[in-house]
Amino acid sequence: MDRETLPGAGVTLLIVEDEILPAMALRDELEDAGYRVMDLTSRPQEALDAALGRKPDLALVNIQLHGRDDGIELARELKSMGIPVLFISGQGSRARMSRTAAIGSLPKPYSSRDMVLAVTYLLGRLKGDATRERPPGLEVFDAVPDAA
Amino acid sequence: MAAQTPTYSEEAALSLTLAIVASSPGPLLLLDGDLRIVAASASSAEAFEIDVLGTPGVSLSSLGAGEWNLPQLRSLLDATLAGAAKIEAYEMDLKRPGRPTRRLVVHAQRLVYLDADNQRLLVAVTDVTDARASEAAKDEALRHNLILLQEVRHRVANSLQIIASVLLQNARKTDPDETRSHLNDAHNRVMSVAALERQLAGSGEAHVELSAYFTNLCSNLAASMIADSEHISLVVTGARGVVEARVSVSLGLIVTELVINALKYAFPDRRPGKIAVDCKFQGPNWTLTVADNGVGMPSDPALVQVGLGTSIVRALVKQLSATLEIAPAHPGTRVTIDRTRIALVDDDAGGVAANSAAGHPVAQAS
Repeated sequence: MDRETLPGAGVTLLIVEDEILPAMALRDELEDAGYRVMDLTSRPQEALDAALGRKPDLALVNIQLHGRDDGIELARELKSMGIPVLFISGQGSRARMSRTAAIGSLPKPYSSRDMVLAVTYLLGRLKGDATRERPPGLEVFDAVPDAA
Repeated sequence: MAAQTPTYSEEAALSLTLAIVASSPGPLLLLDGDLRIVAASASSAEAFEIDVLGTPGVSLSSLGAGEWNLPQLRSLLDATLAGAAKIEAYEMDLKRPGRPTRRLVVHAQRLVYLDADNQRLLVAVTDVTDARASEAAKDEALRHNLILLQEVRHRVANSLQIIASVLLQNARKTDPDETRSHLNDAHNRVMSVAALERQLAGSGEAHVELSAYFTNLCSNLAASMIADSEHISLVVTGARGVVEARVSVSLGLIVTELVINALKYAFPDRRPGKIAVDCKFQGPNWTLTVADNGVGMPSDPALVQVGLGTSIVRALVKQLSATLEIAPAHPGTRVTIDRTRIALVDDDAGGVAANSAAGHPVAQAS
């Protein structure tokens, strides 16, 4: 398939994950789907700096980073920058408790292919495309990113 | 012959009553119809710092600094005296200046006896402060256990995620001819985490004792990969130290990759040999070593293949903020992963919670 016609063509993603192996697998799968994935990071400040340099279309954020729930506050800050966030965490209940900070949650364990479907679905939904079927396991929240 | 009921003078009967009250092992007060103290047990004095000898004739409400002067208690005692109520378990806080508040359970009983003109009330007091604290501690322990259980579930999810990711990476990088070998490797990776989960489930702890984990892990690896246990032995040595669970996942995967690598390449043509896994602890620092006495690395660096296993090890070492050294062991190869950190300054992923000193062999998998 021509990369121009892939679902992720022209879309930039930010992954903030402190488990490097899932992050690598996720990055490879998303890149195969045409998405541009920024450098992997597990540090909130690094993520914010990267987002200031190039605003991603969507950020995939693990809630627990290095033993702390820093992903929630990071999601709020990204949201204030107009960047929508998808929680990628084993802590589904924590994600639901922080539903105002993100547009959705795909809890671990997930397959990278499911994540590609979730990302494509959410980005389509943000553009008003309601035709896609919601991927299994994806929880959709009502929060919308603040205006940039 | 039936025992005769003794007859007492009025004075003797009163004396007996006071003696019974005084000897009560639990705090006990005998009050008159005006809620003045007729007698108090010695245990009352110990529990509530009442001067027993000075209390007869003193009103209950004026004891101490007035801590017994509680309108609700007085109403209940009055109602009990009148026969309109019965206090079986009235709970109150005894608040005394400069002393910790004590939680008391009060039981009051109107005494029915021959002298109807002189009402008497027997008040028993139980101090339940410590018992309630113990109950609260149990509730807290239960709550803590529930949090731990949630943490374990979270950990399981993370671990499964790691394994699923590695399998995917495998599938992406594997040539068809190598499929079987890589699937076997993937199986062993799954088992490395499964061994950890089993250990965590058994201990209920948030930390993992590494020598036991590595022993179990290497036993599984030996069982699945060493077809002829006569020619290769797999030995785990090292001090008994514990690390955070998430650190142990990474270390387990590193050991798995390095052991698989040694089994594949260090002993060609049924060459006999030994693989040793060792972990040493010193304060907050640890050193993991996996060494073999096999054929060693190719002398020409260009012939050294960097496969998925090596990439995984390098990535995990980076995640642990540790250093990696691969060196000849003459004979064989020694891989050393060293984690040095300054306690109380660096609090991220590679934390060691405790350690003990003496190293000792803990397993031989051959």
